[in-house]
Amino acid sequence: MTPDLSLSLSLAAPELIIAIGALVLLMIGAFSGERANTTVTGLAVAVLIGAGAWLVLFTGTGEAFGSAFVSDSFARFMKVLTLIGSVVTLIMSVGFAKAEKFDKFEFPVLIMLSTLGMMVMISANNMIALYLGMELQSLALYVVAAINRDSVRSTEAGLKYFVLGALSSGMMLYGISLIYGYTGHVGFAEITNALMGGERQLGLVFGLVFLLAGIAFKISAVPFHMWTPDVYEGAPTPVTAFFAAAPKMAAMALLVRVTVGTFGPVAHDWQQILVFVSIASMVLGAFAAIGQKNIKRLMAYSSIGHMGYALVGLAAANEAGVRGVIIYMTIYLGMTLGTFAFILAMRRRDGNVESISDLAGLSNTNPVMATILTILMFSLAGIPPLAGFWGKWYVFLAAIDAKLYALAVIGVLASVVGAYYYLRIIKIMWFDEPVGGFQPMAGELRLVLGISGAFVLLYMLFMGPLEAVAQTAAKTFF
Amino acid sequence: MIESAILIPLVTIPFVVSLIALALPSNARNTEAWIAGITALGLFILTAMQYPAVDDGGAIRHNIEWVPQLGLNMTFRMDGFAWLFTMLITGIGFLVVIYARYYMSPEDPVPRFYAFLLAFMGSMLGVVNSGNLIQLVVFWELTSVFSFLLIGYWYHNAAARDGARMALTITALGGLCLLAGILLIGQVVGSYDLDTVLASGSMIRGHKLYVPILVLVLIGAFTKSAQFPFHVWLPNAMSAPTPVSAYLHSATMVKAGVFLMTRLWPVLAGTPEWFTIVGLAGMATLLLGAFFAIFQQDIKGLLAYSTISHLGLITLLLSLGSPLGLVAAIFHMANHATFKASLFMAAGIIDHEAGTRDMRKLGGLFSLMPVTATLAMVASAAMAGVPLLNGFLSKEMFFAEAIEHHADSILDTAAPYVAVLASAFAVTYSIRFIHGVFFGKIPADMPKHPHEPPFFMRLPAMLLVLICLVVGILPGQTIGGYLNSAAMAVLGPEMPEYSLSIWHGFNVPLLMSVLALVAGILLYGILKTYLATSEEGPPYFRELKGQRIFERVMVSVSWRWARLLESWLGTRRLQPQLRLLAFIALVAAVLAATRRGVPHPTLSLGNMDLLFTGLWAIGIICAIGAAYQAKYHRLYALILMGGAGLVTCISFIWLSAPDLALTQLVVEVVTTVLILLGLRWLPKRIEQNYDGVSLETRLRRGRDMLLAVGCGAGTAFLAYVVMVRQPPQTIADFFVENAYELGGGRNIVNVILVDFRGFDTFGEITVLGIVALTVFSLLRRFRPAPDNIDSPEQQLLQSRHTARSDESEEAETASIADEYLYMPSVIMQWLFPVIIVFAFYLFLRGHDAPGGGFVAGIAMAAAFILQYMAAGTRWVEERLRVLPVRWMGMGLLVAAATGLGAWVFGYPFLTSHAQYIELTLIGKVPAATALIFDFGIFSLVMGATVLMLIAIAHQSIRKLRAAKLPTAQENA
Repeated sequence: MTPDLSLSLSLAAPELIIAIGALVLLMIGAFSGERANTTVTGLAVAVLIGAGAWLVLFTGTGEAFGSAFVSDSFARFMKVLTLIGSVVTLIMSVGFAKAEKFDKFEFPVLIMLSTLGMMVMISANNMIALYLGMELQSLALYVVAAINRDSVRSTEAGLKYFVLGALSSGMMLYGISLIYGYTGHVGFAEITNALMGGERQLGLVFGLVFLLAGIAFKISAVPFHMWTPDVYEGAPTPVTAFFAAAPKMAAMALLVRVTVGTFGPVAHDWQQILVFVSIASMVLGAFAAIGQKNIKRLMAYSSIGHMGYALVGLAAANEAGVRGVIIYMTIYLGMTLGTFAFILAMRRRDGNVESISDLAGLSNTNPVMATILTILMFSLAGIPPLAGFWGKWYVFLAAIDAKLYALAVIGVLASVVGAYYYLRIIKIMWFDEPVGGFQPMAGELRLVLGISGAFVLLYMLFMGPLEAVAQTAAKTFF
Repeated sequence: MIESAILIPLVTIPFVVSLIALALPSNARNTEAWIAGITALGLFILTAMQYPAVDDGGAIRHNIEWVPQLGLNMTFRMDGFAWLFTMLITGIGFLVVIYARYYMSPEDPVPRFYAFLLAFMGSMLGVVNSGNLIQLVVFWELTSVFSFLLIGYWYHNAAARDGARMALTITALGGLCLLAGILLIGQVVGSYDLDTVLASGSMIRGHKLYVPILVLVLIGAFTKSAQFPFHVWLPNAMSAPTPVSAYLHSATMVKAGVFLMTRLWPVLAGTPEWFTIVGLAGMATLLLGAFFAIFQQDIKGLLAYSTISHLGLITLLLSLGSPLGLVAAIFHMANHATFKASLFMAAGIIDHEAGTRDMRKLGGLFSLMPVTATLAMVASAAMAGVPLLNGFLSKEMFFAEAIEHHADSILDTAAPYVAVLASAFAVTYSIRFIHGVFFGKIPADMPKHPHEPPFFMRLPAMLLVLICLVVGILPGQTIGGYLNSAAMAVLGPEMPEYSLSIWHGFNVPLLMSVLALVAGILLYGILKTYLATSEEGPPYFRELKGQRIFERVMVSVSWRWARLLESWLGTRRLQPQLRLLAFIALVAAVLAATRRGVPHPTLSLGNMDLLFTGLWAIGIICAIGAAYQAKYHRLYALILMGGAGLVTCISFIWLSAPDLALTQLVVEVVTTVLILLGLRWLPKRIEQNYDGVSLETRLRRGRDMLLAVGCGAGTAFLAYVVMVRQPPQTIADFFVENAYELGGGRNIVNVILVDFRGFDTFGEITVLGIVALTVFSLLRRFRPAPDNIDSPEQQLLQSRHTARSDESEEAETASIADEYLYMPSVIMQWLFPVIIVFAFYLFLRGHDAPGGGFVAGIAMAAAFILQYMAAGTRWVEERLRVLPVRWMGMGLLVAAATGLGAWVFGYPFLTSHAQYIELTLIGKVPAATALIFDFGIFSLVMGATVLMLIAIAHQSIRKLRAAKLPTAQENA
């Protein structure tokens, strides 16, 4: 092997581990029949953790495969977040799989493939790699969304997601080809160089707009959010948990890389787009969630809103902003996984329930669960001193640094409105008449919920080191 | 510094003790009362000892650095004014604790009560002793929260829950406004330190943000102090336990608003805006509160409205902007706290003893509980402003201020009249309270037989009434000094001249007092009989329930609007989602275009070819027609789509790309066949209702058409702009130059496929094979779900045919052609060998001329599938053995072997070798190794396509999953 190739392979080792692992597990699943699910899930978790360990311990910094792939501190950090999202989702799915006849070994394999796509997205350093990663994760997600083929809702959700996703992918591809047509390059670094000199042409702006539209679809930011509530509600809960966690990390990382990194010289152009998208997401996320009755649908609007807040930091287009985005996404991941662990634990004897009214009086029937969910909800609402508050704090601070006062003010107001529906859940749990408790929580869910609660509650303790890591990661672009 | 540190325990101790109180067992009422009482008393004494430091305008400050980088400090600051409030809070707090010990029943979980009460006390102390405005807001919000918890203490009671929620909603929203106002102040001044802010009054008043600051801060203060129109929460908060009402809703919390207004008085007051807003609110509150109080039947309701009215009085005094008015306001705050707290305690005693607070059910209690009655009478006399009591003094000062001239406005002119009227009302409701409860006959239906309460339950009220009396008789000697230092803390050195004495000689204020007393008594005389039986609330206004309005607003905001928003913003159906997506893309593109300026590529019509244009016109018409028919007639749409595709093919030929055209043509044919097979399972058409198309539908269609035209035009324009642009250096030139030399072929596309990018192609055919297998395995077990639409016509024919063939042995071999498609089927059968030859020809010429393995494979597949279409699945499979999977495997192996062959000769994978060989009869034939590779492609493409098509074709011999088709049953 040429030294160039071996360097490339070593930089992309975590991706390779996952890719090979996914193929092997697919074979294991296909040949060992119906009961393979638990084994495959366990092995998938092991492979993903292995990839994560390799990523943290051995992966260096550099560019691979002719600059198509880049590994830097930002990429590594976001990849770790993505892997955490995937691993936790898989762990949480085990109990659900047993209880709900969801034993499909394809699920862990698809999650792995999707994770692989996400990691390629995060490390993408040219448009081809970007598209490749994006489509790999999307295709897996389309299938995963509709994985419960016997459920009309799930099928419908998958189909809708596919149609809209294909449309937005098409738009993005159109944008990429325009960018290529006007700069003559696909590499991010070359595009940046091309943007530095010369006037900006219309085609390039079009290209940028369409590219951002495609990525905005993946992070479910308004106005490309329409699929989110349907998919969240329709898909089986472990799938929803996955949708809420890992892909958001990857798409947000990609967005950061494309805007702040590649299109840094034309920050003015995309900043306005992001400000609009951010405001629209925050406001819609806050208002549309109020009337929801299904907790998964509520979480969909919640995630739309949260992406809006994260974008506040990105819209600031400065180092503090990127740091804010990184911290925000970390905290969001923690809160979301915890909340979904809770939703997965909403089981009665006759199956899972998803309606918010089912939480009534939970403080009586299961005080521990109720307390942790209360902490999570307070955190999602952004109430100090919980983690959610600090996430918002960093992004708003960055926005104010960048003199985006209107954005910051609207963000704060939206979070006040948003607090309403989080608090409503708390109120229902603590003050309404009990409607009967849930089954005891499965061990793995208890673990996830506990860790998430502790993370949110004790965030103050380790926010220093985390901030330092985020700072290093953000430095990549400045 | 050491002395000033005393402020920290002053604020923190209540919170600490509150936690301790919470930890005690729920039946420890005595312990609870003891520790709470000792805490309050201790703090009271501690505060009292600080007086020398705050006398004469002095202040204690204590600063704790918290996050100095952000300029955030904890600052405690006590001056004369804060001292006075601290005394009130701790003193009355102490008395309320004693009172509550006897008031709360043994069943009530008292730890929660005392814990909340103490925490509330701490929050309140925090508000008055904050030296930093942000810190003040934090404590301010804490008072809202603890007030919420205290009002909702009896949470099993719906009224308590509603009242608590309403109080929290209104005061917390006010707190939010206050925070915004404070942040603006910080923006203007550059500091949140109270001293700094107080010193920059003129700067703030002159700033352009003054009005927003004023409005926001005032909303905060008004909501807390229950000023009109935010007063609605206070009467509903009366569902709290009475000690809570006595403490929060008379003496402390509601005073926080007027406290803040006084605190910021040097900064904000004195402008016309201040006078108008504050004066108007104060006057309305004063008058309406007093008027409503007359008509209350609940004692606590009466006291609540009376509190509102008195707070209005204080606000009105503050609005005047005169130093003397401020002194009177501070004085009245203290006076009101004492007499109102004692009145609430008396009300609680009555409730406790008689079992009701409804004045219609009470009467003649004087004979049963004379001591309580006397206390209540003295306190309500103070409330009414009877001489020799503290209420009289501050009311006199108010009258004196009201007749002063301050500003040229109707408001100022009206002030004296409003003052007298409101005082008359105050007299009326005070008499009503005393007369209605303590005199007259003892009603028969009183729930309990009352007697005097325990001494310690009366003691707090007694002490407070004593203060009323002492202050009322000897004002100068008792409160004079403290009042002076409190006022000085606000006003600074410019203290006005005033005298605190009960007798100022015969003057206008005295006349007004007398007038108010007489009018009040007369008014009660008139209303007495009406009030004895009337409903709760004043006539006419009682329909206008504040609570109902509030509930309605809450429901609207939280549910109705949310639903509405969801129906606007939520898009469950795919159609609007897609529409929205297209629309957004269009808007984004248009915006980008308008901002950046649209380039003007010149459109030269000179070299336009008429025929080509006409061709395209046909293509466009076909495309539009296809889109138009897509919903109502799928078959037409498909045919039109074929037309558009054909035009595309011709365009390729026109533009000298015959191989592209060929591929396009074949792909077109195969996809059309595929869709045709799919159509079998869909209804042929949705009947279009041409008559009943509503206007709405027309509008919607029009909008969609506009959107479609916009998007189409935009895309076309963009494509045009890109096309006329000078393209950057492309890779195409390389292939054009090197195709023959390096690849040995003249068909550049084919050379690229099989030679230059051979590895890619190898990958692609692998993928194609996988896809085919996937489609096959998915469809193998596929049975369409039963549909609720009538089966399409062609399917009925088919099923009739199948049904018959099931019955009779002969029919087994009969083809669909017997039923329909007779002529085409014959033609299609005849075409079979022709197409095979054609495919072979395409394959062979591929290297130098348009053609190649891919096209040949598809053409071959078309030959097979046409047979299926012509004769039906069974007929074909009887006669032909199609083994697509073997074809695929062979193709893949051949392609791989070719690649590996290169290795054998020591070249990299897939290196090709090209030469021509001379064959007899046929002539010169190209014999590149690429040709073998191309055969692999051909074989795989053919196999994969046929496999997929067969998978679909096999659907025709399946039946619907559920019930049989109705027609099939009829026939059978």
